[in-house]
Amino acid sequence: MQKQSSDHLRSYAKGRKSGAPAWMLQRITGLALVILTVGHYILMHYNPTSGHDYDSTASRLSSPIFKGMYLAFITIGMYHGLQGCWNVVRDFKLRPWLTYTIFGTLLVLGIIFVGMGWNTMLTFDPNKP
Amino acid sequence: MAYLQNREPVGAWTRIILAYKRYSGTWAYLLHRITGIGLTTYLFVHIWALSSLTKGHAAFQEEMKTFTAFPFKVLEWALGALVMFHAFNGIRIAIVDLGNGARYQKKLLGAVYVVGIGLVLLMFFLIFQNDLFASK
Repeated sequence: MQKQSSDHLRSYAKGRKSGAPAWMLQRITGLALVILTVGHYILMHYNPTSGHDYDSTASRLSSPIFKGMYLAFITIGMYHGLQGCWNVVRDFKLRPWLTYTIFGTLLVLGIIFVGMGWNTMLTFDPNKP
Repeated sequence: MAYLQNREPVGAWTRIILAYKRYSGTWAYLLHRITGIGLTTYLFVHIWALSSLTKGHAAFQEEMKTFTAFPFKVLEWALGALVMFHAFNGIRIAIVDLGNGARYQKKLLGAVYVVGIGLVLLMFFLIFQNDLFASK
């Protein structure tokens, strides 16, 4: 009997050690990032000053929706990027210590840079000279 | 690489490239990984560079003078090519994985290149509009 496509999708939520949930999450975050990244890229570069001017950046960041979207964007983007790098690393049979070192490095880099991005967004003061 | 076994001995990289030659999907797989690693690297630089927003108006504008110089505009445009390929090939991967896309993945790949190259050419005019057209 042929499986229903919903069963097929549900089966990805089962395995705990298989990496299947991460695989699924990579697709979901990827599709979210298509909208966020392509939108971001076009918005920031549709004219030469839009993405490179303090005042236009400040006016965008005065909207809490925009700020919240960017916090999500930083986090989702970093997760997807580092998960993707980890995916590439897992395709090679490396020595265990090297695998763990790479995993640790990616994790620490991710936490530091997401923290840096959140810090920039949340401590941004438009009135500073 | 079984189908290349009777060739004269060549280097490992050459063999890999020869084996990939005929399969556009394999090139897309490679390009997806390379652009993905490139974009992740860029994301680190991007977050680090924009942390100067907290230093105030003057410091940020001073930094942006560098980043709006001509070589950086070219890099910015090139970055768009990575974004467009990775984004649209990502949609293709999602369709192949979650839908019935394996049956028409080559056509989807064609669409990825057409839409991607179209948007990259459009971005050329947007990014370089001040250099291409006389200002009003």
